[in-house]
Amino acid sequence: MEAIGDIKSGYIRELLSKGLREDSRKVSDFRSIKVAKNVIENAEGSAQVDLGNTRVLAGVKVILGEPMSDTPNEGTLAMSAELLPLASAEYEAGPPSPNAIELARVVDRGIRAGKCVDMTSLFIEEGKSWNVYVDIYVLNYDGNLFDASCLAAMSALACTKMPEYENGAEVREKRVKELKIDNIVTSATFAKINGGILLDPNGNEENAAAARLTVATDGKFIRAMQKGLSGSFSAKEVEEMADMAMKKHDELKRRVMGA
Amino acid sequence: MKEIILPGDLVSDKPIRNSYTYIEDGKTYSMVLGTIEREPLSIVPLESVWSPRIEDTVVGIVTSARNSVYEVDLRFHGRSIIIGGKFERFSFNVGDVVEATVKDIEEKRTIILSYPRLLSGGTLISVKTAKIPRIIGRDNTMIKQIADKSKSSIIVGKNGLIWLKGGDIALATKAILTVQEEAHVSGLTERIKKLMENGER
Amino acid sequence: MASKANRPDLVVDGKRLDGRAMDELRQLKIEANVLKNADGSAYLEWGRNKVLAAVYGPTETQPKHMADQTKAIIKCRYQMAPFSSLEDHGRTGPNRRAIEISKVTKEAFENVVMLNEFPGSMINIFIEILQSDGGTRAAGITAAAVALAGAGIHMKDLIYAVSVGKIGEHLVLDLNMKEDNYSDSDMPMAISPRNNNILLLQMDGEYTGEELHRAMEMAIEAGKTIGKIQRDALRSVYTNVAEKYESV
Repeated sequence: MEAIGDIKSGYIRELLSKGLREDSRKVSDFRSIKVAKNVIENAEGSAQVDLGNTRVLAGVKVILGEPMSDTPNEGTLAMSAELLPLASAEYEAGPPSPNAIELARVVDRGIRAGKCVDMTSLFIEEGKSWNVYVDIYVLNYDGNLFDASCLAAMSALACTKMPEYENGAEVREKRVKELKIDNIVTSATFAKINGGILLDPNGNEENAAAARLTVATDGKFIRAMQKGLSGSFSAKEVEEMADMAMKKHDELKRRVMGA
Repeated sequence: MKEIILPGDLVSDKPIRNSYTYIEDGKTYSMVLGTIEREPLSIVPLESVWSPRIEDTVVGIVTSARNSVYEVDLRFHGRSIIIGGKFERFSFNVGDVVEATVKDIEEKRTIILSYPRLLSGGTLISVKTAKIPRIIGRDNTMIKQIADKSKSSIIVGKNGLIWLKGGDIALATKAILTVQEEAHVSGLTERIKKLMENGER
Repeated sequence: MASKANRPDLVVDGKRLDGRAMDELRQLKIEANVLKNADGSAYLEWGRNKVLAAVYGPTETQPKHMADQTKAIIKCRYQMAPFSSLEDHGRTGPNRRAIEISKVTKEAFENVVMLNEFPGSMINIFIEILQSDGGTRAAGITAAAVALAGAGIHMKDLIYAVSVGKIGEHLVLDLNMKEDNYSDSDMPMAISPRNNNILLLQMDGEYTGEELHRAMEMAIEAGKTIGKIQRDALRSVYTNVAEKYESV
């Protein structure tokens, strides 16, 4: 219901003018984070992430296929996201919305630019490779899908077990070997509301935001960024957010690596 | 706690009229998830969809204003309107939060509202409509206690929207959501009293 | 149904491959009210099936021209997640199978939901199969019934669904994926346990009249177990909160 959103936005702005947030967090705090791995046994890898009330499930399927013609010695990686109608009254069934496509592409860029998956390890033999599909399923929406999805996709990849290749066919009975992961990328998303900047906006805060920035990093380099909404940031603000994202990386990386 | 019944459960071998039951072949069955006391029969739904009744206080948002007719979003599946005119003193803008009273319901899907009042500023929270009676409390005791201790102005709409302004809105919200979660558990008033005094359970 | 020629032995010494008796259900677990935003929801594990169901409504009908001014309409979407099966990566979006299942599921619920109470409105049922292992439509209906009751929607009954199939001369309850692939018959049913009326029925394969009779009896018998688990799932949402205080 959009009308309610506007009223709540007014309240969020009023609170923020006093330096307060709806759930009494500091501006640089994430909500509570829970990561559950291997929740879908049929998938080669999977992870469900709860970021406050936002819930995202990522599943990885590894399928025998062909390399792309421009990278004949590598496998492939494809990322999609779906904003399921059961996640919010605002989401509708149908083809992927621009928001869902943006979400998948931003998560994809961070993980790809960070060279997280060793693509050459997916090469099998000439004309044969493993193709990795990551599907992000949004189950409940309460803001900041970017960070929840990045965490879910990265965690699912980090626990992915590969099928075997035997006599020209894929065998899934024994999935033991791990997908080779070379790097861990996490993201931090910020919202600008009434000139103030806060980390990990919840649904109401996202509604009230004028501008949004997602920074994906491996702790050493900034790996991907995406600015959203019609508002703007100063160069200094962007630098500060990038700095904060790097600082938050270790905490998030531990979640990815955790059992 | 009280016995819980579910849709399809037999309530009585005899036909008994009740808002939450239906009668088939002379027997009475539940059509809700609720708590039941059998003698005399009383069913309280644990979850429900709001069915407007005349004189219900509601809270909503004006979504259109044309020719002195205001459409109000009450989170109701039908239409809700306030009819203005030159003899009326009120006038609203789109986006205004209003409190009003249900004057009439046409064919279960159009609600006519009267006595509208502008609620300016503040915020809204939405709650389950089945829990509204407990949130208000007997003779308004529960909501009065929450409003007094939090120093917030609070208007509870039977349609499940609650308006809050001023004072400690975070505490008031926490108390209201606690009532929503624990409405069916005895000792609620004491727990809310403690919560309002200590700021936590 | 895959070819019977290379069928593995699905029944050995009177037991099925997973050790079950012919009339034995797989393990079933249901949790109600698992999603914050939905009006009602349920998460179900049935064997290796993992299913999420959510209900939104009654809300204003969209698009408006679909509204029925005499009663509520039900919309249902059953969908399988792209990572739900062991062998393949599925494509998102509804295929012909999913559209058919959505339709017959919707019709089953139209029988029990009190549609006349909310004229002009729409009730949305979303069923997501997160992991599939045979019998997902039955699992989806069983979960959706819990989600509807939890949404406070008035219904005549809490319905359930289960499948009965045939392997060789055996009638078997609640087929898993492997059994489903090689079975001689499969018959999913949705049933209203209050009167055992059948609200969904699909079948293909080969049944004699006598086998059909026994298959329906098996489904009705299984409903006692399934219904208890559905009811316990809804009850425990409230008793768990109560126990926090009342057991002390």
